[in-house]
Amino acid sequence: MSDRLRIALTKGRLQDKSVAMFERAGLDCAPIHNPGRRLIHSLPNYPLDAVLAKAPDVITYVEHGVCDLGIVGKDTILEHGGSFYEVLDLGFGACRFALAVPEGTDFYKSYKTRTIASKYPEVTKAFFKGKGMDVDIIKIEGSVELAPILGLADGIVDIVETGATLKANGLVPIETVAEVSARLIVNTASMKLYKSQIEDLIRRCEQEVRKAK
Amino acid sequence: MQYIPNTPEGTRDRLFGECQERRRVQSALTHLFRQRGYSEIITPEEEFYDLFTSTGAALPQEEMVKIIDRSGKICVLRPDCTTPIARVAATRLKDMVLPCRFYYNETVYRSSRAHRGQRSEIPQCGIELIGAKGKKADLEIIATACDALRACGLERFYIELGHADIFPAFARRLDLPDEAVETMRSLVEGKNFAALSDFLKDYADQPGILAIQRLAYLFGGVEVLDEAEALAGEMPAISHLRDIYDQLSQAGYGKYIRFDLGMVHHIDYYTGPIFRGYVEGAGDAVLSGGRYDQLCASFGRPAQATGFAINVDAVAQCLPQPEPVQVKEVIHYPGQLIGKALALADSKAPGTCQLSPCTRLESTLQLAKEKGIPTVLILSENGVEEVQSHE
Repeated sequence: MSDRLRIALTKGRLQDKSVAMFERAGLDCAPIHNPGRRLIHSLPNYPLDAVLAKAPDVITYVEHGVCDLGIVGKDTILEHGGSFYEVLDLGFGACRFALAVPEGTDFYKSYKTRTIASKYPEVTKAFFKGKGMDVDIIKIEGSVELAPILGLADGIVDIVETGATLKANGLVPIETVAEVSARLIVNTASMKLYKSQIEDLIRRCEQEVRKAK
Repeated sequence: MQYIPNTPEGTRDRLFGECQERRRVQSALTHLFRQRGYSEIITPEEEFYDLFTSTGAALPQEEMVKIIDRSGKICVLRPDCTTPIARVAATRLKDMVLPCRFYYNETVYRSSRAHRGQRSEIPQCGIELIGAKGKKADLEIIATACDALRACGLERFYIELGHADIFPAFARRLDLPDEAVETMRSLVEGKNFAALSDFLKDYADQPGILAIQRLAYLFGGVEVLDEAEALAGEMPAISHLRDIYDQLSQAGYGKYIRFDLGMVHHIDYYTGPIFRGYVEGAGDAVLSGGRYDQLCASFGRPAQATGFAINVDAVAQCLPQPEPVQVKEVIHYPGQLIGKALALADSKAPGTCQLSPCTRLESTLQLAKEKGIPTVLILSENGVEEVQSHE
């Protein structure tokens, strides 16, 4: 067993921000910037190996313990669940889940069971379950805004950053479902077996989070 | 209808070495358990659904694999071994003098979520010590948990101790509604440090807040017990753990023992010290157990009890793979010498020699060649002649 930790980073926007945070914390991330054909990137000045993965896969790798840690959005955690330790809110990648409906409609007025389109059926289900309200949920893979326009749904639950896309499609956010940002997650067994190494990494990230505030 | 040759998700065929891996762990464990005076109990694979809900500590309904029997009753494939054993101890064995020691070597079934690579059949091997209260029973069970993992051939593992009374003791110091306590319990258990401190912001004026916030961090060596006492004062649960630890370390088990004071178990019938085992190479706990003093009472016979279960396949995965046995010889024999042929095969190392089903010698030689078996033993009234199959 090597004494290096392995972390899975969510590809794309969160990856850039994660790497930037590591660099501010003094970790040399050159191998991630110049990956070549390698899939596992070993940082030269810290015992950490990074892999890049799609968000839900980050959770899968950490849950199975093939990666000790992961950085993933709270949106993915809410949608996919799983058992791992969610140790740190990294602050970046902040946005929110919102319920949005076509402008001028009153979503809660009708007795009719409402239909919601979303890329995040589990988040949607949990949200309406919390209200004790039955809704039909339709999973849409692409642009969710299209569903109400086409008359498929009465509203959508989706990630909202600026609200510009919603507005352009005649939708207004009426309720926040959950606030979302990037999280540092840890495999439960790794946390116990490599406590001091993992705590060191958490501490370094924590410092950067505090500085960023 | 066309037959589809796949097995249901979460299940798998286990072939040869995979069986050996599992059996090796099972035989190491059952040998140890029998040695220590535990007797085997086999309970049905299928039990009434009510059994697992009437105890007030059910698994979530969706995690149980359900069957409707002929009379229309809901049954489940056993999701847990401890509950059925408590049922037996409290009912069929109600006149047996306590304490009783039982072991089991069974499969539990959990309905897993799709495409997560989770198994729905989990082989568990474990023990229950029923009708024994107090420190010495806890000590015996925890030391046996260490020995059990060692008996499997593991050295680098931790048994991590917690106590079911610790979280409630910390939570009681706060004035919170029940739902808030539940939310807090899951945040502490999930080491969801960030969400926990956000959640507690609303109650920041209460004095016990700092302690509960730290509770999530209280895992590691014996020093966490000191910190817990510094935060929340002396409490029986902590001194109980400390006593257990002291005695275990004097007996040489100290290096295996760690603590997680925020530990909460998935099945919630535990009442006293609880513990988990972590092994290098396994992504989750491979051993789980603790004290459950109320469970037998829910079947009509109050009896304090403690025990643990080991996930056999999870342990097997952490061990080096067994060497596959190679067949080295095949015996060609005339039918009337079947007795001698079998005796000859039996005299060889297990699995290395088999009989040939062929009547003609050429066929046996051909078979040996195809199967890559180097030697053919030709048995006749005159004795045994050895031929190399590749010649």
